Amino acid sequence: MKAAWHDLRPVLAVLLAERRPMLAAGAALAAVTVLAGVGLLGLSGWFITATAIAGLSTATALAFDVFAPAAAIRFLAIARTAGRYGERLTTHEATLSALAALREKLFRGWAPPGAARRLLERPARLLFRLTADIDALDSIYLRILVPFLAAFAAAAATGLVLAALNPWLGLSAFLWLALLGLIIPLRTAAAALAPGLRRAHLTEALRTRTIDLVAGQTELAMAARLTAERHAIARTDRRLVATDERLNRIETRASAAFGIAGALLLAGTLYVAARLAEANEIGAPAAALAILVVFAAAEPFAALKRGAVELGRTRLAARRLAPRLKTDPVAPARPPSMPPNRQAARLKSVDFRYPDAKRLCLSDISLTLTEGETLAVVGPSGAGKSTLLALLADEATPEAGEIAHSPSVLLTQRTELFQDTLAGNLQIANPDASEARLWRALEAAGLRADVEALPSALETRLGEGGLGLSGGQARRLSLARLFLRDTPLWLLDEPTEGLDGPTAREIMRRLKGQKRGRSLVISTHLRREAEIADRLVILEQGQIVAAPRRNEPGFEQALEALRPD
Amino acid sequence: MRLGAGLQVFAALLWLPQAALIALVIGDLAGQGPAPEDVGLNAATAALAVAALGIVRALLDGYAGRLCFGRARAILSERRAKAAKALAARSPLDSGRPASGVAASILGEQGEAIVPYLSRYRPARLKALLVPLAIVLTVFPVSWAAAIVLLIAAPLIPVFMALIGWRAQAASEAQLAGLGDMNGFLLDRLRGLATIRAMGAVDATAKRLRQEAETLRARTMAVLRIAFLSSAVLELFAALGVAMVAVYIGFHLLGQLPFGAWGGRLSLGEGLFVLLLAPAFFEPLRDLSSIWHDRAAGEAALKALDDLSAIDLALLDADADDAEDSQREGARAPAPALRLENLSFAHAGAEQAAIEDFSLSVEAGEKIALFGPSGSGKSTLLALIAGLAPADGGRVLIAEQSLDETNAGSLRRQIAWIGQTPHIFAGDLMSNVTLRRPWIGRDTARRALAAAGLSHILAGRDGHLGEGGIGLSGGEALRVALARFTADPGNSLILADEPTAHLDSETAEDIADHLLAFAKGRTLIVATHDPLLAHRMDCIVYLPKSAMRAVA
Repeated sequence: MKAAWHDLRPVLAVLLAERRPMLAAGAALAAVTVLAGVGLLGLSGWFITATAIAGLSTATALAFDVFAPAAAIRFLAIARTAGRYGERLTTHEATLSALAALREKLFRGWAPPGAARRLLERPARLLFRLTADIDALDSIYLRILVPFLAAFAAAAATGLVLAALNPWLGLSAFLWLALLGLIIPLRTAAAALAPGLRRAHLTEALRTRTIDLVAGQTELAMAARLTAERHAIARTDRRLVATDERLNRIETRASAAFGIAGALLLAGTLYVAARLAEANEIGAPAAALAILVVFAAAEPFAALKRGAVELGRTRLAARRLAPRLKTDPVAPARPPSMPPNRQAARLKSVDFRYPDAKRLCLSDISLTLTEGETLAVVGPSGAGKSTLLALLADEATPEAGEIAHSPSVLLTQRTELFQDTLAGNLQIANPDASEARLWRALEAAGLRADVEALPSALETRLGEGGLGLSGGQARRLSLARLFLRDTPLWLLDEPTEGLDGPTAREIMRRLKGQKRGRSLVISTHLRREAEIADRLVILEQGQIVAAPRRNEPGFEQALEALRPD
Repeated sequence: MRLGAGLQVFAALLWLPQAALIALVIGDLAGQGPAPEDVGLNAATAALAVAALGIVRALLDGYAGRLCFGRARAILSERRAKAAKALAARSPLDSGRPASGVAASILGEQGEAIVPYLSRYRPARLKALLVPLAIVLTVFPVSWAAAIVLLIAAPLIPVFMALIGWRAQAASEAQLAGLGDMNGFLLDRLRGLATIRAMGAVDATAKRLRQEAETLRARTMAVLRIAFLSSAVLELFAALGVAMVAVYIGFHLLGQLPFGAWGGRLSLGEGLFVLLLAPAFFEPLRDLSSIWHDRAAGEAALKALDDLSAIDLALLDADADDAEDSQREGARAPAPALRLENLSFAHAGAEQAAIEDFSLSVEAGEKIALFGPSGSGKSTLLALIAGLAPADGGRVLIAEQSLDETNAGSLRRQIAWIGQTPHIFAGDLMSNVTLRRPWIGRDTARRALAAAGLSHILAGRDGHLGEGGIGLSGGEALRVALARFTADPGNSLILADEPTAHLDSETAEDIADHLLAFAKGRTLIVATHDPLLAHRMDCIVYLPKSAMRAVA
């Protein structure tokens, strides 16, 4: 219980910070609906019994005020309908709102450099898990909070009505319902915790295995393991069947428990009401009222089991997401210290190590980049080329040494485009850029004609990850994005990787054309990219082993060692 | 499933005797109608009977629910197995083959939607059909007027729901695509977080995310307002139905509406009995409407799984390894000769054939390069040699055996495959090499890893790899692929598809060294556009850009 609270609190805090009145209104409407339902049946029972007794003689029949109760019954019928409609609208609107806020908060939570790096290192499977986690969270309000409030409103109302007839009857009915409403969901949640978590893990395993089967199909076929992989999927599914069955058993048990408890309460109330009526403590109409109220009150409790069964999954989701929801505002990025005049960047004895890594990734790096200079960082993969760029882009902080550099922008190795319009993809770089400016950037990147040929031009929507463009077009688009950033230092991480020779050379030419006195740092293992450099920086195992300038000995030789197309 | 649904109907009908007992007791309290004693009961035994019936009802309902669930879950397993079988058999050259992520979603979470659909929707439908009918038939002999009230209320419900549901359907189809977008947008932006950070667009993107979510909320609410209206109508009729029955019976008992009870006057007991049945009359309809969306989701899931189970183009002999999995000795086979005779292949829907009338003869132990630009059909040719798709014409002979539906599986076992971007399986480095082949021990795998130059990784990390080989560079992933197939000495023919693309020159050279070392005493076919690699082969077959012709 305490642990559950501890897990859910950070998420609850975010949910409640947003649209608190609406969330409260939703819960209140749920309670109103339940109360109207209880009132409708109770009053109907009382009404019929009272009229039956009054109807025995003509005199009482005429004196009996039928209109007030009949109107009240109709009013309750309409109130119940309106309440339910209002409840559903309000709770859904509140949930959607709160989840919108939650998504924004999560995004901001992942944006700081450390968190972003860890996120991007994660496999796609974990990104998927993230959305499943977010979806699991709407259960907190819709399936746990609201049903609980409604059920307890029903318990309290039942207790009060019955207490008016007989205090002991009221108190015991309330206690019975309240205890049921607590004990059954708690026991259900406790029983469902382990299988619920197991289910979440097995579902992920099934996913992973399916991805392995489809993406690794050729390898599996060649190794004669296709059938084995299929059997492995079937095995995972069998384990899932076992947990699904177990969860269903737990849920069924909770349902049956509520059903039995409701029947016992009904029978008990019937007996007690009959005894009270026989003793003339209450009239027959009151007895009918009591029995029908109790009959109606049991209904909202059945809704508690689903939230209870899902609680384990919800907690898991909350636990995984909580670190990204910490409310402390992200510290504004420290402005990089500026290098001395006429320099674009200066590194002095810089050491860098990835968290938890044993050895340094970069050690004792000292480097000065003058304004307008183009530098190519070369070396075998794993030598620390990308890390050097990350340092210059403030994506990483050195363990020792000093870094100063002009404002920089990094062109990432992987072309990252978004599910958005072409214009939207460009405006990521510069939200205020005019349309004319966007066209100029496209022109400079050699993409203008391609975009003009599209029916919706700049408003063309791209699919997931920029789907709809060829590799060369996608790279040009990211180049246009770079051209929209007016910073004095451009950092290019393998800018033409994966492109064919002619396209790659054209992109290098356009880069050079747009350089205009800026400084460039290119991380590369391709000759065509390093060719435009004024100086090569050769990295090996995190150290600079040579840095020949153009026309110095070693420059051509180092260039030769790089890979041709 | 039928038994379960039937039992659920029966359990719901147990409320009838319960209601009768309650009505009997209260009628007696008011001094009306037959006393419980008349039927051999007192209040206490009546209460006990109500409790007993309630308990039986709860247990029966639970048992029936379990039956339905078990059956529905078994159907999900069947469908999953069927889809997995199709996914395994579908040729990699089949253009309609789903992406792995899509397949995983359908097989996984989307598929789960068929369980509530089959286990709850169908019994609920049966209940909605039978229970109200049984109740009307019970009420009718007591009070035809009350029965008519129920009969009028009930059929109106589907009419109104249909009217509203029809509008809701149109509205929801218009925006349903957007609903999944909320997560899609977040994931899309998170994947490109490096660029968003590099462009200083974190704040703008966060705001945009919020704005998109708010727009989506507005659109969703517009649909929900209509959709919830349909259940509100049902609620209204149910509540008004109960209210009208109550008011009618009240007035009737007062003597103001004396008709409706077959000429006589209802007793209080009878009146109460009818009142108690009224909510039970509407309950199955409410249940049905509350799980209405299960049906839409369930049917969509069934359809998605069916689509996944379709095969347009299959691997040759996909079930080959079904039977004798573990009985395979790793004896080294002699290098086979390879002959391609007039091979043709066209991708589905393509105007031009990818390969046309292509013939080639490779001697046992020969190493040849298929050299050509991308799009010249090199990869397709390798796939045909491996039996990963049937050729449209011509034949492939491996060691004089013609590759066909019956022997492709056993021929593939002699073939090592090194692709351009090898798939790294979830799990650790060792299992990525053994691929859980029982005939490849850990020591063999370790030696293969060392030979491929990966022992430092095995020693340095915990050896655990993520999906897509996170933490492995492109060169390392290729070394894993090398180790994977060098670990099996039974491989005598090596097919390598662009093994050195996207590698730096040192790594490329090293990979080529390893490949050639492994190829000693084996037949090797390399598809490549790397001139350095091609020149290390015995023979280069140049492929033109357009459809292939016989060259060698």
